[in-house]
Amino acid sequence: MRRLPTEGPARRSDTDPDDRRLERIVLALFGVTVACALALLVVYILGGQTQIEGLLLFGALGALGIGIVVWGQRLIPARINIEPRDPVGVDQAQMAELEQTLIEEAGFSRRRLLVGALAGALAALAAALAIPVFSLGPAPGRSLFETSWRAGRRLATQGGPPVVASDMPVGGVLTVFPDGDSSDPNASTLLIRIGSNPGGAAASSPSPGSSAGASPAAPTPSSAPGTAAAPASTEFVALSKICTHAGCPVGLYRSTEHVLICPCHQSEFDVLDGARPINGPAARPLPALPFRLEPDGTFTALGDFPEPVGPSFWDMDL
Amino acid sequence: MTLRPAAGGPDLRAVGGWAAILAVVAIIAVSGPLPAMAGALASPHATGSRQSVGGASAAVTEAGTTLFQSQCASCHGVQGQGTSYGPSLVGAGAAGADFYLRTGRMPLSAPSQPVVRREPILTDDQIRALTDVVASLGDGPEIPKVTSGGDVSDGSRLYIANCAACHGATGAGNAIGGGNLAADLHQATQTQIVEAMRIGPGTMPKFAFSKDQEASIAAYVQSLQNEPSPGGLAIGGLGAVAEGFVAIGIGLVLFVLATMFVGRRSHEGEPPEDPLP
Amino acid sequence: MSVDDRQAPGRSHLDVTPADATDRGPGRIRGVLGWLDERTSVARVVRAGMRKVFPDHWSFLLGEVALFCFVILVLTGTYLTLFYVPSASEVTYQGPYAPMAGTQVSAAYDSVLRISFETKAGLLMRQIHHWTALAFVGVVILHLCRVFFTGAFRRPREVNWIIGFTLLVLAIALGFTGYSLPDDLLSGTGARIAYSAALSIPLIGPWLASLAFGGEFPTSAFISRFYVLHIMLLPGLVIVLITGHIALLVLQKHTQYRGGPAREDNVVGRAFWPGQAFLSSGLFFLTAAICSLLGAFFQINPVWLFGPFDAAVVSSPAQPDWYVGWLDGALRIFPSFEPTILGITIPSPFIPGIVIPGVLFTIVALWPFIEARITGDDRAHHILDRLWEHPLRTATGVAILTFFAVLTLAGGNDVLAFQFGFDVEFLTRLFRWLAVLLPIAAWIVTYRLCRGRLREGDHPSPPIAGHAVARTPDGGFEEIHE
Repeated sequence: MRRLPTEGPARRSDTDPDDRRLERIVLALFGVTVACALALLVVYILGGQTQIEGLLLFGALGALGIGIVVWGQRLIPARINIEPRDPVGVDQAQMAELEQTLIEEAGFSRRRLLVGALAGALAALAAALAIPVFSLGPAPGRSLFETSWRAGRRLATQGGPPVVASDMPVGGVLTVFPDGDSSDPNASTLLIRIGSNPGGAAASSPSPGSSAGASPAAPTPSSAPGTAAAPASTEFVALSKICTHAGCPVGLYRSTEHVLICPCHQSEFDVLDGARPINGPAARPLPALPFRLEPDGTFTALGDFPEPVGPSFWDMDL
Repeated sequence: MTLRPAAGGPDLRAVGGWAAILAVVAIIAVSGPLPAMAGALASPHATGSRQSVGGASAAVTEAGTTLFQSQCASCHGVQGQGTSYGPSLVGAGAAGADFYLRTGRMPLSAPSQPVVRREPILTDDQIRALTDVVASLGDGPEIPKVTSGGDVSDGSRLYIANCAACHGATGAGNAIGGGNLAADLHQATQTQIVEAMRIGPGTMPKFAFSKDQEASIAAYVQSLQNEPSPGGLAIGGLGAVAEGFVAIGIGLVLFVLATMFVGRRSHEGEPPEDPLP
Repeated sequence: MSVDDRQAPGRSHLDVTPADATDRGPGRIRGVLGWLDERTSVARVVRAGMRKVFPDHWSFLLGEVALFCFVILVLTGTYLTLFYVPSASEVTYQGPYAPMAGTQVSAAYDSVLRISFETKAGLLMRQIHHWTALAFVGVVILHLCRVFFTGAFRRPREVNWIIGFTLLVLAIALGFTGYSLPDDLLSGTGARIAYSAALSIPLIGPWLASLAFGGEFPTSAFISRFYVLHIMLLPGLVIVLITGHIALLVLQKHTQYRGGPAREDNVVGRAFWPGQAFLSSGLFFLTAAICSLLGAFFQINPVWLFGPFDAAVVSSPAQPDWYVGWLDGALRIFPSFEPTILGITIPSPFIPGIVIPGVLFTIVALWPFIEARITGDDRAHHILDRLWEHPLRTATGVAILTFFAVLTLAGGNDVLAFQFGFDVEFLTRLFRWLAVLLPIAAWIVTYRLCRGRLREGDHPSPPIAGHAVARTPDGGFEEIHE
């Protein structure tokens, strides 16, 4: 039988003069709540303002909370109650009876073959019902090994025209995609002009002019006269932008040091040394896109990246 | 500084005097200028003579040249050709000089001083004079005139795609490794923004945007500076790290204080001692 | 209640009229409760519940604060679901925030901007929701620490410990899926990292990642899947587990600190009604007030500045919310290590992102059994320990907390470098050393301190003044003077 807790005597008198004062305080606090709630309604109707509404909400809730707590702490006679606790332990007789009911009466101990077959049937059904989980996504297949780059696709900015080599300043970097198809973010490629003398002083760069038809997210080629002579293809590198550690875009470039940095976990890649990781947790260099610099100054890919782009996975070398 | 005439005839005195002056200038140029000299050398020597040092025709003044020798030459070389302390300024152009000088990054009082934005110690006239000198050293970008018609939504797209990786989505800047910092953009003027994109200061890459694109980006950065932060205090615009400190340092602390207030013992007929030290 | 002889026509003799239905005051309550009790037998449970004893210490209220945070999250979250669109389809933003005008964004991102700028009180609700989430995980951890360091997880409460720890993991998962819903640049980057962590698991990685995200990242499916997780599956699990958590607590009764009349076979404290009920409800409103304060005055997650998610674009600094920061930190400071074993590549995020957290979480989850095995003490305990009474437990807890704290700070290494003028690479190397040495040092120092305090001898409890009473064997009350 459940025994109810015992209750000690009340320790305060309810006619304490302090009571009047506390009652008034709690009343005042509830009054603050009402005022803040009404003001909140007015502010909301008038159009609302985040900070004022939040402050009024704070006032309403806080005053209500303090009022209730003060009431509970100081206006309700405090009692110490003691409740007995049942001992922890197993009632062996009850367990034996339970075991008898559960197992013996259904005959589980006698019909072991049936029990085994039932278990097997349930397991098979569970496995069958779990099959639809494979509809959640396609088989990985070759998707991790390929991007949308193909031989002959030109390098272009997202939504923009193909990049022209002489329009890129030395020390400049562009994000490029296959011309006309920027739908595969894993194909994003960094085109960097490291210049003819990457370790030496910065060469002069063309002064930007104005042009029409700006692409939404990249610099537009300029057509200022008297720009430098056509650069050599060795002045450029094209690297996958997807970090080989955890897949973030490698968006930072320290141009005078020719180092690419990924902001997620600070992997650093040396552009002059095949984008080898020189710092941070990445272990694989950024794959390089094979390309050719055409006579008209545009760049053409010679094929897809030779290795999988982005983070590693267990069978990438198999 | 007084000159003692060399012993001998008046010719030797004159030669000796000029030699002494040249020697002093050379010593100052080599030993590194003191910031105090900057004020002392601000003598208006506007002769209006147009000397061409190098290719371009800039309005190089004698004041500018002297300023260059005292402020810049010790690290960048007497003809701006570069030394082991500082890179060559040939081709840096007026934009380069204007950017570094107006943002107070230059001049440095010592080569080891970090190159960061400061209150410029040179006056407007001095900066203009130096800019002309540097422009005359070789072909380089001119000071851009930023048009005011930039489209802030184009600017936001361009900024997020090209700038946010280093300077942050809020323009607060960040450490980018190797001891380098991407600057906080909240004090940059539109001119400085466009200059930076063209010259690629420090390790920043160069960007060949069109004039419209440059104006748009500059307009967007201005809007970041004026951004009213409708949610309240922006807490530095540093993202989740700052938010975490606030959540724990303010939120959790307030929670614990509220809990201790609610759970405090009433002070009559005291129950068991408080076991937590 | 009695059968009324004067029955109105149409009523059977089994109809019973409540005795004083027309009285004022207590009569009315008795009438309503009587009506309910007739149909649900609820009166006896309510009576027992009203008298249930709550031990009186503020540290026992932390679990309640966590519960209140969850309630606030459900309330504000429900409000947000009425306006949020869980779709990755592209729309053009045409709202009042000028810098985004004309930008192609997902419907999800567009709906969050509309909540922030066009819905009245929308930004306030969003910010309260997000700040409460950050504080919620913190309070759960505080509560876990209280339970851990006082040994409240010991027999018979091991199952409740496992349920509680699972709730912590679910809270973190809820936070992660939640802040990914706006489909902004920052949270999408985080989703990519989660995908790569799944991808890194040998043998099953590529399949698991593809099934979870609906293909190779980025997919159009992951926003709506995160949404289903965030508003239905995970909260449902949390509600079931919280119910179990509280049910076990009610069944087993609360633990209590030593002192006064407290013994292993009783519970000493305050009755639920009226005392504890007032305190708890007051605490709920105070919790809500603090959450509102944060939501009003501190801007959080300004997604309009980050822009819509684009898997080829990134902004820095790139950190997750603080309660996932330890994972980010582990990925940042773990050295570049990608071995190939028998042709199988072990990708570099695998050990810091999957193995280390997995091992640590398992140890924490199974700690009651581990400690019972080590100390050989598998008796039931209802009296709590003081901090220094179990040096092994306290030291191990401090060491694990230190480890996670170092990892969390390491997750912000670039921001710390920027603010305090260090090199990023230097901080990374420093955190690497700290992550190994500091927990060990903390363990040793804590162990020593605890042993020292133990050696000084137990401080006797001072006699209590006042009127604590207990029941005597013959049924009367007796004052206790100890």
